[in-house]
Amino acid sequence: MATYKVQIDDVVRDATPAEVTQIEARQAEAEAQAEAAEARAVARQAVLDRLGLTEQEAQLLLGS
Amino acid sequence: MGIPSGYTSAQVVQAVPTGINSALVLISSTTIGSAVSSVTVSNAFSATYDNYFITLNGGVASTNNSLLMTLGATATGYYFAGFDSAYASNLAALAGANQANWGNSFRGSTNSLNGMMWLYDPFNAKNTHFYSSGARSDTGAGYNQLGGYLANTTSYTAFTLTTNSGTVTGGTIRVYGYANS
Repeated sequence: MATYKVQIDDVVRDATPAEVTQIEARQAEAEAQAEAAEARAVARQAVLDRLGLTEQEAQLLLGS
Repeated sequence: MGIPSGYTSAQVVQAVPTGINSALVLISSTTIGSAVSSVTVSNAFSATYDNYFITLNGGVASTNNSLLMTLGATATGYYFAGFDSAYASNLAALAGANQANWGNSFRGSTNSLNGMMWLYDPFNAKNTHFYSSGARSDTGAGYNQLGGYLANTTSYTAFTLTTNSGTVTGGTIRVYGYANS
C-alpha cells in the first residue's frame, strides 16, 4: 500500500489505511475528470479538423 | 493627498471607534507541512459568518497538480463547471456532476501553490456554493475558474484539500469570514 502524509491543522502524520483509501479514491476521480476533459478537447479538435478550421479560426467564430 | 471632506486633518488614525468592524476577518492561518497529500483545516466555519474567502499561496508542489476540495467527511454530491486554459493554448471545459470533490479548486506547481475560493453557507443548513480560481506558475500550465455547489444541506466546520497527484510543501491556507453585518 502506498504511503501518504496528511495534515490536520498543524499536525502532520502518516495517513491511516482508511485515509489512504480516501486519498486514492479522490485522486482516481480527479484522474477520470482529467481524462473526460481531454476527451472533450479531442472531440472538439476532430470537429475542427473535419471543418478544416484552425483553433484560432474556431475562436474567432465561436468565441471560445 | 488632500484632507477629505468632514475631516480636520490628514493624521493617521490610531484608534477605531467601537462599533466599526472589519468586513473581512481572518479566522485561521495554516502553514502546510512537508510533503503532505492532504491538509484539513478544522473549525474554519461557524455560525458567526455566512460567507468565507479562502486563499492559498506560497509553498511548492512536487509536480504540477491540483488540490481537490472536500467539506467535512462528505464524499459525494459535488457539482462544478468552469474552464481550464494553458497559457499557450485554448480553453477547455472542466465539469463534474455528483463528484467526490470539487476538483481543481486550487493549483500547485514546482514553483508555487495558488488559489482562492469563495464559499457560501458552508455552516448553514443550506446548499454550499463556491467559486474558485487558481493559476500555476509554470509556463506550460495555466489558469482555471470554477463554480458549483454541494448537493446537501449539511452544516460543516472543516474542509480538506487533497492533491490529485504528488504532494505539497509549505505555503499558507488562510480562511477569512465576511461579516454578516
